[in-house]
This record gives sequence, structure tokens and C-alpha cells, in this order.
Amino acid sequence: MGSVTRDEAGWRFLGYSFVLLVTLLMIVPIYWIVVASTLPEQAFLSAGTDVRLLPGSNFLANLDALQARESVDFVQSIWNSVFIAVVYTLLSLVLCSMGGFAFAKYEFKFKEPIFYSILATLTLPIQLLVIPLFLLVSQMGLSNSYWAIILPWAANPLGIFLMRQNMKQIPDALLESARIDGATEFQLYYRIALPTMKSSLAALAIVLFLFQWNLFLFPLVVLEQGKYTIPVAINELIGAQRVYYDQIMVAAALSIIPLFLVFLFLQRHFVSGILAGSVKE
Amino acid sequence: MASDATVWGWDVAAKALDVVDDPYEEEHGGDITVEQFGRSNMKDKFKSRVLSGSGAPAAAMMESVDAAAWVDTGGLRDVSGWIEDAGIRSDFVSGKWGPLTKDGSTYALPWDVGPVAAFYRNDVAEEHGLDMDGIETWDQFIAEGEKLPDDVAMLNLPPNDYDGVWRMMFRQLGGLPFTDSGAVNINSETSLRVARQMKAAHDAGITSSVASWSSEWFSRAGEGSIVSILSGAWLEGTLKAEVGDTSGMWRVMRPPAYESGGNRATNWGGSNLVIADQVSDAKARRAWDYMQFALGTKEQQVTMYEEYGLFPAYKPAYESDAFDQGSEFLGGQAAGRMFAEIAPNIPTYNYTTDTPEITKAINSELGRMISGELSPQEAVDRAAQQVANRTNRDLA
Repeated sequence: MGSVTRDEAGWRFLGYSFVLLVTLLMIVPIYWIVVASTLPEQAFLSAGTDVRLLPGSNFLANLDALQARESVDFVQSIWNSVFIAVVYTLLSLVLCSMGGFAFAKYEFKFKEPIFYSILATLTLPIQLLVIPLFLLVSQMGLSNSYWAIILPWAANPLGIFLMRQNMKQIPDALLESARIDGATEFQLYYRIALPTMKSSLAALAIVLFLFQWNLFLFPLVVLEQGKYTIPVAINELIGAQRVYYDQIMVAAALSIIPLFLVFLFLQRHFVSGILAGSVKE
Repeated sequence: MASDATVWGWDVAAKALDVVDDPYEEEHGGDITVEQFGRSNMKDKFKSRVLSGSGAPAAAMMESVDAAAWVDTGGLRDVSGWIEDAGIRSDFVSGKWGPLTKDGSTYALPWDVGPVAAFYRNDVAEEHGLDMDGIETWDQFIAEGEKLPDDVAMLNLPPNDYDGVWRMMFRQLGGLPFTDSGAVNINSETSLRVARQMKAAHDAGITSSVASWSSEWFSRAGEGSIVSILSGAWLEGTLKAEVGDTSGMWRVMRPPAYESGGNRATNWGGSNLVIADQVSDAKARRAWDYMQFALGTKEQQVTMYEEYGLFPAYKPAYESDAFDQGSEFLGGQAAGRMFAEIAPNIPTYNYTTDTPEITKAINSELGRMISGELSPQEAVDRAAQQVANRTNRDLA
């Protein structure tokens, strides 16, 4: 402790207080969703009179009401979302790391223009892409299938960019010596490059999973009832004359769980993965 | 004619279509599938599929307020020919056709209308000695409201929907938000009159400001601390579902007039059915055949009214004695007959692709007027200017 001056301690205290405050700001809405999902609608919507901060016992009743909805099969939509997000994340990790490896370690014609055009697609908002992509997937005979949602963003430009930045760190000498030892190009990627990229891949996995998990407009337009993902299913609960907040809260609370698990599983890689490649030495 | 067709709709409207599905198939053959959606989901999905030219159902529900934007996509089928062939145009209340028509072509068949009434708590009115039957004008309405104690409001003006109230009152006076040449006309004398009337009601202290469709709104309607709600005929069904234990305590009256002898007919809400242009002629014919059966026959419209409270735009239905039946929820009052008398007198109205801008501008500027920040004249002027600026339209 001797080396910590009073000043430093003061700054540290301020720093931690700030972090704590931000954390609270993040957690309160989530906590409130969970609490609200256990209360009858009237109890959490009655304007400010008595705010309930502790969970109640209405969770199962709200869940029953949600499951009784005709136009929404919520359990099915959890499965749809999980399947789509998991398959998408795995596929996209493979494609992005391959693409990133190519852009980082190979020389080929028009490399820079191609890379920057891929990067430029990041600026296109999804709303602009929905209709052309819908036409594309329906002409491929994929409409109303999981693949219609998985394939269009499988080669994710952000993912390719992140992987390229990180893979630039791999020393060329390492790859060269492996080549001399007779490794094929695929082995270079698979045996040499990938194992060093674990934390980047984990971080990217979280980003990709989140992206797919939250996708709304495209699944709404492409999928039919029964194939709906969670965000689309939740939006079904907004009726013309009535918004079913109790059911929405249950659905929202349940939809957090898979995200939570993914993050918990990959979190120790997350920060180091995002930071990797951000500093040039 | 194709053997099958799919129809999209939301909420009770979709359920109502489902009810007339069986009798249709019995009488006309064919196989109609009704798919039910959440409202905003259906709108986004239908519009995207219409724009992309593939994947749309044969027929779908469309609110009149969206008509201009949907017709503008170029993806709806012009059904004028079929309407003329069937000779049914004059069977529908005339106020419905305006929004569905562009350059002489009609793109939808009217379904329901929302003749406006003030739904009020008769028990509370009696308790405080209000003479609701004697009210004809806004002045009288406000005078009666002043008899109520401070914690009971005569009328709710929802801050999230000043636009809904304004539009209903504006239409009652025959106001049109756009001129024939498309100029913005919401700062007209008529619009100013409406704004002044809303402000007068507020300043008299007879109003509450609770967001519509919120649970507080329902609970205050249930406990009777909001005496009246201006709304379309369909509100009865909603009140029944949400505050069913107040059954028998409610009544309806026509919306107050601006002066003695003034018009007391206007509209809030209402839908139509459209056919997507991308479906084959054969499918479109099947869809039309079903639409004509569902929306343009007396029997089916009466069924929809009785089962789901959808008030027909199809006038021959009003001959049915279903409209003379006293409603238990309304203490035996034959509200249907009153609405049937209002419906044909609803003035026409126009919507454009820029209607959402009017909604936004009116909501925010009238909000500032109610809170005392702006005078009625300033509020309508600013709203009109704001719409004109954002849409490159001229001011009327």
C-alpha cells in the first residue's frame, strides 16, 4: 500500500464509483424486466403510486397467458432464435476467420479495393437491404427457412475486419517456417493461425450472436408464423388496442437467458479479444 | 377463379374474417385462409412484401389512415372496375371512399367505420346531477362538466394522442388537412376553431390528461374518475373487455356540436380490405369474391357487428334490427341505431403519405398549447409550418 498516494487513492475511488454507477444504469432496466415479469400488469404499470421493486408471484400466470396466445408460439420462437443464432455464429466464425486470414496474410490482385468495399457495406442500414435480400432468398427457394436468416450475413463484414486486424499480428516468419516444414495453406490457417486467435474468436462470437439475436425486420419479413424469432414474436404482442406488457415482460426476461449464458461462457476472452490488434507495436 | 386465397389481418378484425370464412366456403366454394398478426408486424411485413413484388397474400387489411402510403407503393390492385360491375359503391357510407381513391382509381373495399360518440359513465353523471341528455354544444358540455368535483374529470384529453382528438373534431367541422393541390391546411380557420375548443375545455378545468390505452386510463374509466371518453363505436368492445365490471353504467351520446344545430357526426378509425397487385388474376378474383361476400353483404356485416363490434360501412346492414338491440353494457341503450344514423353523415377526409408528419406536428404543438406555452393560433401555425418544411409542401 505504501506506494499508493492519497491522490491516487482518491482517483481510484472516483473511478470505481463511476464504474459502479454505470453498472447500475445498465443493470436496473434488466432487473426491472425480471421483476415486472413476476408481477400482474396493473402492479408495474400503475403510474408511480407505489413502485414495486421486489419480485412477485405472478410469473407462471404471465407465462400461461403468453403461451395461450394464438398467433405466437413463444417456446417455438426460443428454439428458432437459438438455432439460428448458434448456427449463424459458428458458420460466420469460420467464414470471417478465413476471410480475415486471406486479407491479412496473402497478396492478391485488387486486395485493397475488395477489402474496402467489404468494409463499406457496414454503412448500409439493414432497412435498405431487407427487400433486395428478401427477393434474393426467395429466388433461391429459401424463404421461410432458417437459412434465409443465417446466410445473408454469414460473411459478416465487421467480423472479417476484426479478424484481419488480429491476424496481422501473426508473425510471417512463423507461417513461412511452417510452409518449409510442408504444411498446406489450409493447415496454416487451421493449425497455426486459428489457435492463436482464441480470444478474438470468442469476442467475435459474442458480437455475432448478439447481432443475430437482435435482428428484427429481416426475420419479420422473411419468416412465416411458426418460424418467428423472439423479437418478432414479442412484437406480435403489440395489438391494435392493447399492448400486453405482462406477457412482453415474461418474454423479454426469458429471452435474456441464452444471451447471458453465451456471455458467461465467453466473457473471459471478451475484453482481451476486443483489444487485441488495436495497438500497433 | 383460383380455388384458394390467403387473407391477412390483425386482432379482432382477423377473428371476424375467420367467422365469415365458413359460410363463404359453404356458399361459394373455395378455400380461404385467414392469418392473424400483431398490428405493427402485419403492416411492416405486408408493405415490405408488396414493395418487393413477391410473397404478399391475396388480400389484406388496411387502415384508412395508411391508405395514401400504401396506394403510393404502386403494389395494390385497382378494384374500381369490380366495384362498378357489382354496382355497390353507393351502398357504402360516402365518407369512406376519399382516402381509398387516387386519380380516379379505387384501391380497397371499405370494411368498418368508427362513428364517434362520447362514452360516459351515467352513474357518475347522475350522482353529481349532470344533465347529459340536455347537452348539444361544447359550451353546454363544459358547463355540465364544471358541476363535477375537482378529482373527477368530465373528459380525458390524452397527451399521447392530441392528434386523434383534433382529427376527430376537425373532421366533424368538415376540415381537410390537405387542399386539393396538396398544400398543408392545418392552420385553417376550422383547425384554429378546434384548437381553441380543446384549449377552452382544458382551461375550464374539466379535463384530465391520461395517456390513452394505458392501464391508468382503464383503471380511471373503471373507477369513474374520468366521466367521458370520445372515441369510435368500437370502444364499447374494448371497455367490455377491460372494465367489464362496470357493465350497465355506461351510455353513449353524440359528440357535442360547435354551435346549436351544428354537425354531430364524425369518425375515429376504420379499416378496409385491399388486394395485392402481384397475385395472379385468378387469385385476385377469388379474393375479391370473398371480400364482396364478407364486407358487402348484409348478413355477414351484421355477424361481424354482433360478434366483434365492427361497425359496418355497408349501409344496407343498418336495416337489420341487430342495431336496435339494447346493449347490456350500455344499460340497455340502442347505441347501434345512433351510430347507424351518424355513419352516413360522416364528412369525407383526406390522408397523404405525409399524414404521419401531421400527427407528429399536431401532437407536439397542441401539447404546448395545452400547457400554456403557445396560443391556439401560434400552435396551429407552427404545426402547419413544421409539416410544410419537412415535406416540401406549400402552406394553404
